[in-house]
Parts: sequence; structure tokens; C-alpha cells
Amino acid sequence: MTGRLPPSPLERIDRERTVTFRFDGREHRAFAGDTIASALAAGGVTVLSRSFKYHRPRGLLCCTGRCPNCLVQVDGEPNVRACTTEVRAGMTVKHQNAWPSLRFDLMSLTGRFERLLPIGFYYKVFYRPRRLWPLFERILRNAAGLGRIDTRSTPVMHPITRHLHCDVAVVGGGPAGCTAATEAARAGASVVLIDDGPALGGHLRARSSPVRGGGPIDGLAGHAAAARLAELVSAEEGIRTLSGATAFGLYEGGLIGITQRQTLVRLRARRTVLALGTQERPLVFTNNDLPGVMLARGALALARLQGVRLGASAVVVIEDEDGAAVADEIRSTGVAVLAVVDLRTGARLERADGGGRVESVVVSDANGSRRIRCDLVLVATRTEPVTALFAHDGGGRAWSERFGEFVAAGRTEGVLTAGEMQGPRGAEYAVAAGTAAGREAAMECGHGEEQAVVAGRERTAALLAAAPAVAPTPIPLDGSGKRFVCVCEDVTAEELAQGIDEGFDDLEILKRYSTITMGPCQGKMCHVTSARFRAARTGQPIGVAALTTARPPFQPVTLATLAGPHLSPVRRTAMHDRHAALGATWLDMGDWKRPHTYTTVERECRAVRERVALIDVSTLGKLDMRGREAGAFLDWLHPNRFSDLKAGRVRYRAMCDDAGIVIDDGTVARLGPERFFVTTTTSSLDAVDQWLRWWLAGSGRDVTVTNVTSHFAAINLAGPRSRDVLARLTSLDISRERMPYLAAAEGDIAGIPAVILRIGFVGELSYEIHVPADYGADLWDALMSAGRDLGIEAFGIEAQRVLRLEKQHLIVGQDSDALSGPLESGLAWLVKADKPDFVGRNAVAAVSARGPELALVGFTVAARTVPDEGASILHDGALVGRVTSAKWSDALGRTVGMAIVPAHLAVAGADITIRAPGGPLRGTVTLEPFYDPAGAKLRS
Amino acid sequence: MSFLVPCPRCGPRDAYEFRYGGELNPRPAPDAPDTTWSAYRYSRENASGVQREWWFHRNGCRTWFQAERDTRDNRVIRAWVVEASPAR
Repeated sequence: MTGRLPPSPLERIDRERTVTFRFDGREHRAFAGDTIASALAAGGVTVLSRSFKYHRPRGLLCCTGRCPNCLVQVDGEPNVRACTTEVRAGMTVKHQNAWPSLRFDLMSLTGRFERLLPIGFYYKVFYRPRRLWPLFERILRNAAGLGRIDTRSTPVMHPITRHLHCDVAVVGGGPAGCTAATEAARAGASVVLIDDGPALGGHLRARSSPVRGGGPIDGLAGHAAAARLAELVSAEEGIRTLSGATAFGLYEGGLIGITQRQTLVRLRARRTVLALGTQERPLVFTNNDLPGVMLARGALALARLQGVRLGASAVVVIEDEDGAAVADEIRSTGVAVLAVVDLRTGARLERADGGGRVESVVVSDANGSRRIRCDLVLVATRTEPVTALFAHDGGGRAWSERFGEFVAAGRTEGVLTAGEMQGPRGAEYAVAAGTAAGREAAMECGHGEEQAVVAGRERTAALLAAAPAVAPTPIPLDGSGKRFVCVCEDVTAEELAQGIDEGFDDLEILKRYSTITMGPCQGKMCHVTSARFRAARTGQPIGVAALTTARPPFQPVTLATLAGPHLSPVRRTAMHDRHAALGATWLDMGDWKRPHTYTTVERECRAVRERVALIDVSTLGKLDMRGREAGAFLDWLHPNRFSDLKAGRVRYRAMCDDAGIVIDDGTVARLGPERFFVTTTTSSLDAVDQWLRWWLAGSGRDVTVTNVTSHFAAINLAGPRSRDVLARLTSLDISRERMPYLAAAEGDIAGIPAVILRIGFVGELSYEIHVPADYGADLWDALMSAGRDLGIEAFGIEAQRVLRLEKQHLIVGQDSDALSGPLESGLAWLVKADKPDFVGRNAVAAVSARGPELALVGFTVAARTVPDEGASILHDGALVGRVTSAKWSDALGRTVGMAIVPAHLAVAGADITIRAPGGPLRGTVTLEPFYDPAGAKLRS
Repeated sequence: MSFLVPCPRCGPRDAYEFRYGGELNPRPAPDAPDTTWSAYRYSRENASGVQREWWFHRNGCRTWFQAERDTRDNRVIRAWVVEASPAR
């Protein structure tokens, strides 16, 4: 296979424009329009890969992107199909699965030791002696898989995702598909036509034989018919054509997964017409994997469209009229066809031989056998319907006695089929069936006329009834040497026979045992052949349930394409720029960016405890709750009470689910008789919002919940001097008497309307100030300048975590888990046993009756070592609990933490043992807050 | 999982826009026996066939509604906003 044919009008290459690329270090020349495979073939490269198991040299086989033989590594991307990937200037292509080189592959020795690799070898060898398994494992791991992912390289793909919607999707751009699309569009439907070729027309693009029947394409040469179909499609404004696009899966709800280069298209269609036609499949004979053995129609396309000279002389195998036409067309590409083996006559191709590629074949017929010297074997046997995609979403595949093959049978609610995949061959049927399906699909979307639908249906039915029956040539069971059924996984007919004889005679079981159909081609080359082989070997009819389940993807899809672009939202608070200006380090909390520290944790903690400091708490969840029954609703949702909360007061809230597990905490402020301001933890906001709405749905309660999280920015101003700072900015009376601990007020601060809550997480005199988000930065600036002479500073999350731990303030989800109820979380004081039913009451009452088994306690460690959060707590050598939080407290000069321990250890002064990397740590249980246990500072 | 859920307010949308709220699971009376409460908390029918369930249009109108779905083929037969009733 070297060189090019003289220029022809059919070719798609531009001989004026050349590009260069590298294959295994050597520079190659290509024309614009060449695929990697066509350029290499024209350049004399006959071996593109080594086979998976025996590392046999493999050359181009299908030339249509279906078989595994031309998988290569391109610019770091593994398993690229060379035969359907266009050459780009400067691309670097490497072979796969051969070491050290394609020409000399040491792993091909596996072919000599094939008794070590029998069918199902992973069940039979290598596991004894056990002590050698690590060695075997290393070798096998190295041999397994195809291609190498370079984990250090920069991303080679930049995928994007698109969403499309249409009435009718048509998959397949051959005569049936183009006609279906055209008819549906003419009826008024919006149509998306998906075709995996670079241009419409399907296999006709490379054919010169005249088309028989088929209305607008009747009598045209194949390539002219293809061009005519493309014209008809482009004349319809209602059709959007996706060329070079592969529909890899049909999913529920009319979703079609499509890849088009690096784009993932999620297409929602009300109706889908599959017009996938037929495909070629390999023939089973001895050494049927030698380079030079090719599927004839694919090879013809390579010659016609890219002008590749396939070889000098060929033997062509046929079994129907189309095969005979293909053989004639092969002649016209300058290949001497030395023999046409017509399987219908009982002739057989016995074997191919050659060193590294085909040099001769043995052909037998009634007159005996003879050897023919040739460099090509072209398999032009009957093609098979492409039915796997149809089966993805429940479509039927049935064995047709009449056509001697598996065909697409019937339809599903959303998916119709049309054309050769239904059995009958030829353009006349394809066009009729495409017409009928296009009209039918459009009609079901509310377009077109019933009369036209009926006419189309009737004509198709008549042609189907008149289609000639086909007697498939029997599959040869016997033969010598390596006769591959599955080229992906190197499974031979002999191995399949052995597997069947061992009792694995059901195709699903045989598949798992032999790995047949499980390679990169996913059965496109071997599925039907193996089903036929099994039927012949077992003597069972091929009939029902003879094919294994087809699942997406129909063609391989890279994970990067499915993942799509790496985009994730980032939420910044209104004060983000202020934090950045202060040099904050950042912490990601959900989508939010929050300041972790500005200076040092110790310094920020001191500012809070000794002077005044502020923290951005805008990320708190905020819900505005109004209505006559808002108080009663809050009572229902919580173990404590809110209906008796006075306007102008705030109360702590912790919420349980009906299993009695604490799911969130925060505060409730009453701002009016029927108006509450509820805060939630940053991470639980969405869950809490949904939780509230769920309890309201259909309840008839007069309550309205509005999520106002993004509407408000919030700052917590904390520290002994915080009142002094705030007083400078407001006319509100915020004196200790008028605004004591747990008071809530509305008023202006620095001229900004604000909700002010006298609460604090860090245990100091503090104010949580909520203002409209647009004024967040202004509030920050106002507080900063008002407090400058008092030494105001900003503090971040890390300092807040230390300070709250010094107070043993719980963080739900960190200091509690999926087994923590209020009684296990130090919140027993919250539960009002005298309240009527509330969410979680039954479960909490049950825990209360039997006594909680676990308790959340504080502990200190004298050493400076800080245990990991999650560290085990041991008691009498047994694991009994875990550390939930632990920090070094500079102010206290101790490590402080919280832990979940058995209830009997929840005693002040109890010793606990904490597992740590440097040896066990001794801890002491402390039930009171470490800092200001009486809460005097909080109330000051 | 790519089926369409017919939101009663927004029309058919990709299931990914929704939160599945589980099958309908009526809450027992406060004085129901512990076994009833335990079943309510931890047991589900997990029907193979048509079941009634809750859905929330998370990336849409943020409405909770109920639907009948066939768990065998994920077809949502109908969906409706729940009318006010004490039993739901």
C-alpha cells in the first residue's frame, strides 16, 4: 500500500495544500482532507498498532472508525481513531501497545506462550503460587489497558457542552436519513440531522455504481446521489445538520448524547428517527488479522476519497450483488482483482499468509484449493444492520429468518427506524422508509398531513413485503491457526469453541468469560459473528435473546467531553474587595470565598478578646418569614418555642428532622407581630429553604418564606469596645439597658438601613449587622474608620473557629453527625418537653426515655499537640468516640477541643485518651466553656 | 437518568433541574405506636411500578409538587401542585 492514485473528482483531499505531522518520530506528509490513516497508508505505513493480547501487527481494517486497529496516541490524547481523524499540521502521533517499537515488539512473545493465556486465563493461571502474584500483577498491570495518559501534561482537550432541542432528530446521513430529515422538515417540523461523516450521503459518497430506485436519486452514480441528498437537505431551512458528529447514546426522555469533535451536544428530540444503515464486518478465516486484510467498502472509500493506492492485487470475498458491484469498483481503483470468492457458490477463503502482511491466500471451491499470491484481501461480504443504538432506549433487535440477520424491529414511543437497518437493502427501500419515518415523526409532533403519512407507510410496507429473502452463508466452525472473531481482545474461533465446550454456552456468559465484545469496538466487529458462532457450535437456533445487552456509549467518548468545561460558580460577598485589599488568604465554603486569615490567628483573636474586631458573615443563610402562622410554623419546626418570642428579641434555634437528628442551627429574630428574620448556617441554607417549603407545601399555613441571603450583607462586630464603635455610627439607643444581649433592632447605621442583632458566636459583646448587600462595603468602611482609634481589626474564619471553640459553641455538621440529636449535642436545654408535637419530637422523646448513649463534650490537652479532627478516642483500649474540633488556644495556653464520647465519659474532669500520630494524648473533659463560662462578657 | 419531569408550573424539564423528594410517606399521629414511627422514619416501599412521590423544582420555580412516576421506565405520568389539606 503505497502512494496515491491519479487525481479524481470524487476525492476530498486538496493536493495543493500539504501539511506535515510526525508518526513515531518520523515526519510524514499529508494533504488537506487526509485522515491520519490515509496519510500513513499513502506513505507506506502498513502496521498502525499491535493487538491487545498477542501483540500481533495490525493494519487498517474497517476504515470507518469502528474497529480497534488504528487507535493511536495524538498529542497526548490516547485511543484516537486514525481513520476518522483529520491530520492537523504539526500533530504528533504515536503507536500504542507495542514496546519498544511497532516493528519489534517484545510483548509479541505472548503469542508463543499462548497456552499461558487460554480463554478465561485470569481465572486459570497466574494465581498460583500465591507468593508470585505481586510479580504477575506488575506484569499484567503493565500489559493491561490501551494508551497512556500523561498526567503531567497540560490539558489537551477543551470540551464544551451545548444543549439543543428539536421536534425530530434524525441519526444517519445516508439515503434514508437525509430523506427522513427532508420529509419531516417539509411537513413543518424542526429537525436536527446527525451524521458522523464529513459530508452527507453515507456510503454512497465513495461509490460509482448507479443507484436503483429512490425517487430523486434514481439512476445517479453513488457519489452523485450523495451530493443530491446533501442538496435536498441544505434546501430545507428547518434542518440543522451536525456533520462529523456521533450519536453515542439514546437516553430517557428523548435525550441523544452526541459528540462533535470536542463538543458534547445534549439534544432533546420529541421524536428520533434512526437511519443507521448497515456496516461491514470481518470474515473468519486463518490469519484474518494480517495487515492487508481489509473490509472492502471501507478500503474503497479510502481509495476514492483520499486517493490512496490500496495495493497491487487483491482477492475479494463476496456473498451478494452489492459485493459483486464493490469488486468491480475496486478494479477501477487500479487494483488487480485476481479472484472473486463468492461464498454463495460454496467457495471459501481458507487462509491468508505472509510475514507481517498479506503475501498470499488459499481459496477453495468444488474443484479443490489453490494458492493465490496477492497483497490485499478485501472482504465485501453482506453488511449487517447497525442496531445497537436502537437498543439503548428499549428498541428491539430481532433475528429475521427472512433476511438471515439481526434487524431493528418495531419502534418505541419516541424512536422510529428507517432504511437498511430494517433488513431490505438498496436506495429504493431506504428512500421510501425514510420518507415514511420522517412524515410519521413529524406528524407525531403535530406537523403534516395524515394522508401523506398513510401513503408513506403503505409504500414502505409493500417494498418490505417484496424484498427478497436472503440465505446467509454458514459460518465456518473448523479451521487451523489463528482465526480471530474478536480483534479487540484477540479472541479466536478456537478459544470461543473451547469456552462453549467448557459450558459457557450462553452468549452473556461467554462474553464475560472470553471478554468478546468487551474491547474498544464494543462488539461492532464481533457481536453478530460470535452470536452466530455460538448458535452453530451449540446447535441451538440463534433466535430469541441471542444478542447481549447494548448500552451507551455506542462509540467511545472521552471523559473530558462528558465532564464538559471546568466551570464552577464562585460567590463573593459585597466586601470581597476589602478583604483582598487587606491581604486575606481565602477559604472555599461551598461556592463562597471567605477570608481565612488576614494577619495571624493569634493577633486576630487578641483583637476580638481585648479590643474590637469585625468579620464578614454575609454568607449566613437568611430567610424572611412572614404570615399569621409564622410563629406557629417555627414552633412546629423546632424543639423550642418561637411563638412567644417578643418583637425586638432574638433566640437561638436548632432544627431536627423527624429522626431527631440536628440538621441546622442559627437564630430567629422577631421584627414584628407576623415577621421573623431567620438565619441558617452557610452550607445548609438551600437544604433548610427546601425543608421549610416542603413542610409548607399543601399545608395551607399562612406563611411566606423568602430567601434573602443575597439581599443582605452582614458583619459581626465583636469585642469589649464594639458598643463604642457602633454608638459613633447610629442614633439608635444601643445602651446595655435598651439593647441587651439577645435584643434585635432596626435602624440606621452610618446612614444605612440595618437589622441589628445582639448575638455573637465568639463569646464577646457583639452585634450582627445586616444591611442591603449594595451597602456591604460601605458598612465595612464605616466601621473600620469609626474604630480606627480603638484598634479595630478584621478577623477571619480561622480566628472565629478558635474563639467559638473557646466557648464550646457547636458547629452543626462538624461537631455533630448523622447520629447526633439535640440530647447528644449538648442542646438538651433547648428541648421543651411540654410542647405539643413538633418535627423530631417522637424520636427525641424516645432518646430521652432510654437516655442518650453519646454526648458532645469539651476537652483540653495540656500538651501543645493539636489532635486531628476526627482522631479516635480510646477508652480501656477500645475505640469509643472521636474528636470533632481541636485548636490551639493562645489565650488559654492549652489545646481545646470538642469530642463525641460515650455518655458515661461526659463528666467534668474525666480522662480521655486521644489517638495521635506521635503517641496517645491525655485529655480532660470540660463541660463548661473554656472562656468566660458564666457568659458575663457576652451579656456585658 | 435523563428523563423529563413535567413541572406543573414550568412544563417538562430535565430531571437534573429537580430534587427528588422521595415517595409519599404520611407522618403518623403523635400517639402512634413506636413501630409505626420507626417504619415512617426508616422504611420505604421502593415500589417497582407506579408510585407517588415528591419533587422540588430546585433550578426553576422552587415549588414542591407531587408526581406519579413509573419506577421501571422513569416515565412521569402526571404531576400536580398539592392542594391545601391537613393530610397532604
